[in-house]
Amino acid sequence: MAERWFRSASGAPIALRRRQHSACCRELSVRCPRLQLRSLSAVTSAVWLAAYGLFALSENSMVLSAAIFITLIGLIIYLHFVKIDQESLLVIGSLGIQVTSSYASGKESTTFIEMSQVKDVVINEAIHMQEVIYYLCILLWDPGDPEGVSEVVPLFQSSKPRLDCLIEVYKSCQEILEQRKPTPQASGIK
Amino acid sequence: MVENSPAPLPERAIYGFALFLGSWFGFILYLIWAYIPETWLFSLGLTYWPQKYWAVALPVYLLVTIGIGYILLFGINMMSTAPLNSTHTITDDYAKKQQQKKFQEEAIPALRDIPISEVNRMFFLPEK
Repeated sequence: MAERWFRSASGAPIALRRRQHSACCRELSVRCPRLQLRSLSAVTSAVWLAAYGLFALSENSMVLSAAIFITLIGLIIYLHFVKIDQESLLVIGSLGIQVTSSYASGKESTTFIEMSQVKDVVINEAIHMQEVIYYLCILLWDPGDPEGVSEVVPLFQSSKPRLDCLIEVYKSCQEILEQRKPTPQASGIK
Repeated sequence: MVENSPAPLPERAIYGFALFLGSWFGFILYLIWAYIPETWLFSLGLTYWPQKYWAVALPVYLLVTIGIGYILLFGINMMSTAPLNSTHTITDDYAKKQQQKKFQEEAIPALRDIPISEVNRMFFLPEK
């Protein structure tokens, strides 16, 4: 159960923790940096300064209370729907892969993919917003085509680890996936 | 005539000169249309020319179009980029239909699209 520090694609420090629960079960979690006090106070000051400017122009004090409400509700919405604290990947050899994202407000959202649907876990490169990034993704079998891929599930979308962290996660996943019996897709009817 | 080189040719010189004369003629015509008062043009018999409003409006339209074109092209590029969860980042129709040629000894292997799982294993797993 070791924790190693890496950098995300934007330069923020992220922590990767590997836990081996058994011979064919591994959990890899990436912890994103917490909400910084300086960015929170910067945004709050900007909103309140803008509201004060509007108040000075319009002499309407409702603008100030509206700004306070907006700041509070905006912060709650951000923490509950946007800010991801930790993303984890649980690979169970014979069962499947579970992807969990925990938000800063405590909400957790989980997706489970059966092992019979999983073709491979690979590191793919793609263009994303004027950059080429490496990202880990799960390839799913295509029911109509033994060699084809029907769907690509990208992982670690908000922490965006760099290649060194992805290689560690990739090696851990491959050690488990190699133990599978080499079978074709689930409904092997052709 | 047959080759496709960008070298100067007599025909190209003639096209260039014709374009040069044509663009000067168009420019002088535009200046006449924009600056000479309407009454003088009427007295010459040219009554059905477009309003002078367009002599200012069309260049402005053109410049705004060019400015929007930059932003539009940028936006179209971003919209056409495949999202991270699409299979187009991994393969495409040509790769799916490719034929696998048999490996022959001492021959250069045929060109083919290598599946991404194999590429990953080669790059990221240690050599066995």
